[in-house]
Amino acid sequence: MSELRLSSIETRGVPGKRRYAMVIDLRRCIGCDGCMTACKAEFDVPVGVFRTWVPYKVVGIYPNVRKHFMPRLCNHCDDPPCVRACPVGATYKVEDGGFVLQHYDRCIGCKACMASCPYNARFMLPKSRTYTDITSVVDKCTFCHHRVTQGLAPACVVTCIGRARIFGDLNDPASEVARLVSTLPTQVLRPEEGTKPHVFYIGLDRNNSEFGRAVYNPLDVLEQDRQAFNKNHQG
Amino acid sequence: MGDFNIFHHMPWSSTYSIYFFTIGISAALFFMSTLSWYREEFKTLRSSAFYLSFVLLAVSGLLLIGDLSKPARFLNIMNPAYLNFTSPLAWGGLNLLSFGAVSVAYFFMMRKNDEGLSRKLAVLGSLLALGLPIYTGFDLTVHQNRPVWNTPLMPILFVALSLVSGAAVASFLAGTNEKLLVMLRRFMLWSAGAVAAMLISLLGTTAYGGTGQELTFMFMTSGALGGIFIGVGILLGTAAPILLLLAPFGRQQGGVMLAALLLLVGGMALRYSILVGGQIVQTYF
Repeated sequence: MSELRLSSIETRGVPGKRRYAMVIDLRRCIGCDGCMTACKAEFDVPVGVFRTWVPYKVVGIYPNVRKHFMPRLCNHCDDPPCVRACPVGATYKVEDGGFVLQHYDRCIGCKACMASCPYNARFMLPKSRTYTDITSVVDKCTFCHHRVTQGLAPACVVTCIGRARIFGDLNDPASEVARLVSTLPTQVLRPEEGTKPHVFYIGLDRNNSEFGRAVYNPLDVLEQDRQAFNKNHQG
Repeated sequence: MGDFNIFHHMPWSSTYSIYFFTIGISAALFFMSTLSWYREEFKTLRSSAFYLSFVLLAVSGLLLIGDLSKPARFLNIMNPAYLNFTSPLAWGGLNLLSFGAVSVAYFFMMRKNDEGLSRKLAVLGSLLALGLPIYTGFDLTVHQNRPVWNTPLMPILFVALSLVSGAAVASFLAGTNEKLLVMLRRFMLWSAGAVAAMLISLLGTTAYGGTGQELTFMFMTSGALGGIFIGVGILLGTAAPILLLLAPFGRQQGGVMLAALLLLVGGMALRYSILVGGQIVQTYF
C-alpha cells in the first residue's frame, strides 16, 4: 500500500495504527433495510435523513428480473475531502482507527463538506428534534465510533440478518475484513476520486453503481417521488 | 443507481450564486475606485464606485452568514484555534474580513483627504478585492467530484466575470462622462471576450469528460438549465453584448448601457447555472 499513499493523513498499512473498514457482501444483502432501522435507533436519526441507506436497482428483462441492493454509508475515506474542505476543522479524522467524525459544536453549517463528499454521505440535521439537542449541523455515519471503542461492532453490522456487513481492522492481517479484502475481488465506490474509501463491496457491478443515462431522463414516477421528497424535506 | 428510495439535495443553493454575483461586483467596483488615483478618466467614479462596493460587500456578508445553518457561529471562522487552512473557505473568510477592514480605513482616509494613505489603501484593497473572485472560484474548483467546477479555469473565469459585471455597473454610475464610457466599454469588451473564450473551453472539457461530466453537459445544455446557461448566460448575456459593443451603436451611451444590462443578466445566469450544474448529477447518485 505504501506506494499508493499520497498524504500523511492516510493510515492504511501504517504499523502500530488501526484502520477500521467495512466489507459489504452484496451477494448476501436481501434489502431488508434492517441496517437503516438499527442506525436510526442507535443515533435518533431524524425522519428524512439517513446515515446509512440501501438504494436498489431493478435489472434484467421480465420475467428474469431481480433487485440489486447497494447499501451505502460514509466511506470513512483514508484521504477524506470533507476534512480538508471544512473551514473550521469541525470534521476531523481519528488517526488511530481512521474514523471520520464531527465536532458538532464547531460546525457553522456552510455545507462545504456536503459539497465535497463524492458519496452524498453527509446531510443537514433538521432545526428541531424530539430527543436530541444537536440540530442544524451536518451529520453522517460515524462507523459507530462509540460502540467500536468499547469493543462492539457497529449497529448495522450487528443487526444484518444476512451477515452482509463485516467490520474490522484492515491493518490487522488476522481480521476477517483483511482476509476478505486480500482474498476476494472487492470494489470501492468512485475510486477515481482518489479518496481511498474504506467501505469495500463484494459483487458490485459498476453498471449499477455509476451514474447512468437514466438520471438524465428519469422515469416520471421517480420524478414524482423526488418532488414529493423535496417538498417534505426542505432544509 | 437508476431506481431510488433516498433522494439527495444540492448542498449549495442559489443564495451562493447571488453572493458570487454581488461580491464580484463589489471587488471590481473597488478596483475602479483605485484606478481613479492613477487614471484621470476614472476620477468621477472614486467615491460612487467605492460606496456601492461597500454596500455590496455588506450585502454579500449578510447573504453568506444568512446561508449558514448556524449563522451565529460565523465567528468560528475568525477563531485561530479552529481555522483549517486547507479549506478555501477559511482563506475566503479572512480575505473578506481584511477587505472589509481596508475598505473602512480607505473610507476614513478619503474623508480626511489624505491622498498618500488613500492611494496605498486603494492598492492594498484592490489586491484583496482580486482575492475575492479568485477564492470563490477555488471554492468550487477544489471539489474533485463535481463536474464543471473541478477545472483550473474556475478562479480565472470568476475574475473575468467580476470585471465584466463591475464594469457594467460602473457604466451606470458614469452617466454622460464620455471618456469614462470609452474605457468601461473596453473593459466590458475584453473581459466579456475572456469569459466567452473560457466558456467555450469549459463546454468542450465538460462534453468530453467522464460519465458525470457528460451528463452534466447534457443537463446544462438542455431543458430549463440549458435555457438559463446557453440562452441567457451565453447568447443573451455574453455573445449579444459583445456584438452590440462592437457595433456603431455600442459606442454610444445608450448602446453601452444596454450592453451593460445584458452583461449583468448574463453574469448572474452564468454564476447560477455553473453553481447548480456542478451539483445536479450527484443528487441522483
